[in-house]
Amino acid sequence: MLLRIHQLTKDYRRGVRANDGIDLSVDEGQVLGLFGHNGAGKTTLLNQVTGLVKPTSGTIHIDGADAVADPALARRSCSLQPQAHAPLDGVTPRQAIDTMARIRGAGRRRARERTGALLDALDLGAWADEPGQKLSGGVRRLTAFCMAAAEPGRIVMLDEPTNDVDPVRRRLLWEQIAALAADGSAVLVVTHNVVEAERGVTRLAVLHHGRLVAEGTPAQLRHDYADRLRLELVAVDDETALQLAAEVTGAGAAVRTGRRVVVPIDAAAASEALTWAQRERGQGRVEEFAVTPVSIEEVYIGLVGPDPAGAEEGARVA
Amino acid sequence: MRSYGLLLRWNLLRLRGMLPLLLVLQTLLSVGVVIGFSFLLPDADQTTGFYLSTGALTLGLITVGMVAAPQLVAQAKLTGIFDYQRSMPVPRLAMLAADATVWVALALPGLAAALGVAVLRFDLDLRISWLAAPAMLLVAICSVAIGYAVAYAAKPEVAGAISQLIFFVALMFAPINFPADRLPHWLAETHDWLPFASMAQAIRETLQIPATGVSTAPFAILTAWCVVGLAITYRVMTHRP
Repeated sequence: MLLRIHQLTKDYRRGVRANDGIDLSVDEGQVLGLFGHNGAGKTTLLNQVTGLVKPTSGTIHIDGADAVADPALARRSCSLQPQAHAPLDGVTPRQAIDTMARIRGAGRRRARERTGALLDALDLGAWADEPGQKLSGGVRRLTAFCMAAAEPGRIVMLDEPTNDVDPVRRRLLWEQIAALAADGSAVLVVTHNVVEAERGVTRLAVLHHGRLVAEGTPAQLRHDYADRLRLELVAVDDETALQLAAEVTGAGAAVRTGRRVVVPIDAAAASEALTWAQRERGQGRVEEFAVTPVSIEEVYIGLVGPDPAGAEEGARVA
Repeated sequence: MRSYGLLLRWNLLRLRGMLPLLLVLQTLLSVGVVIGFSFLLPDADQTTGFYLSTGALTLGLITVGMVAAPQLVAQAKLTGIFDYQRSMPVPRLAMLAADATVWVALALPGLAAALGVAVLRFDLDLRISWLAAPAMLLVAICSVAIGYAVAYAAKPEVAGAISQLIFFVALMFAPINFPADRLPHWLAETHDWLPFASMAQAIRETLQIPATGVSTAPFAILTAWCVVGLAITYRVMTHRP
């Protein structure tokens, strides 16, 4: 196993426990998606693996070597795309990617080739020679990705790499993430976009209040919900949505977001639910509805609950 | 060595936009101290003129190392660049050396210009020691080491204030532009241990060798400050919270 994290705990000085007994391992060729609300401890976890933050207790081994005792080894083994924007003022993407590849150990020629290949693969050619201060957030983010990926470490850690990136380039980005794994790196991706990540990751890990609450392949995580479906409906207005959320009978709590109401239902009760929804639609309270398999996003919300910070978006109805 | 070269290139790329401006400002400042103070003291004799000229060189180096450098570090901390640099797989010393090189190089044109203006303005008769270049290098590195120690150890806002204070003290209350005996006794004694007086003395004596020869004490004091500054910087750099 390339990266093995055992019972990792991090207490910050103010008494905040950012990571609490985390066990996690990632092998080369794998892409691990790391999910969790803001403040769940994801970035702290990455910073400990890179050797920027020292664990309070627990171990991190990279290829069998103790990475906590040897932060220089950790830095050599890991390439990190931090969540903060990369320092690009005055530097063009091409220069930044090329220099970072060389700092990470690539030869002159290899750095130039990799830089060109990544710029092409992410369709960044138009901005490749523009200075950083003129670039949009998305292009800066993609450049930061390339800076970590041009001469990747054995472990590549990407902290919210898809933020600000347009949908077309997101797909290109996920292709490059898969390519990194195919070339033998272990990739950790922190992201909030659960649906998108489901297609791109080998395994998922969910952090909640510093603890690892679930870990497995998307199919494994979905397993508990195999006999579940979801009924999604759009009400005519917010008021009606609130009423419908209270009236509907499902296998779990209904979640309302504006006019949208989503409720998990048992597969066996699907026709009953459809009949109910059709009747409500006939009465003009529901504009549209659909019954679909449970998405990984719902599995995730089921594990950690709605984001308290985003409470106004996802009001939960008992 | 390879890391050093690449980091230097990275620094130059990043600061490319700002370097010309800093260079001009720094040169103006050094020259400005020579010319400006000669307005303040119109009847400057040879000694005063000599103090002002060599003091301008010292102040130029102090400005770059203890004011400009820490302010940019503070800015880097606020924008998150600092942490980014910390995650790079390079030896910490190479990173420090690459930073210091940029700052020292930045100070050189100002030094030359100020010295040139001073010679013209005050008809200075210089007796330059071979130690002049090492002295200036030591003063420059010492400034950067202290500036970085402050910038690394203190919060960005505090570091900004401290660097302003250092400049103020250096300009007005340190025996850089004037002999130490004009200061109150206690302040003069304090300066025996602070780096400012030693910086000025090292530069002064290597540009016009006194009859008693170049004193070694300032070099020892500066080396000590240098070591302390670098040690603090290195400690903060490698510290993992």
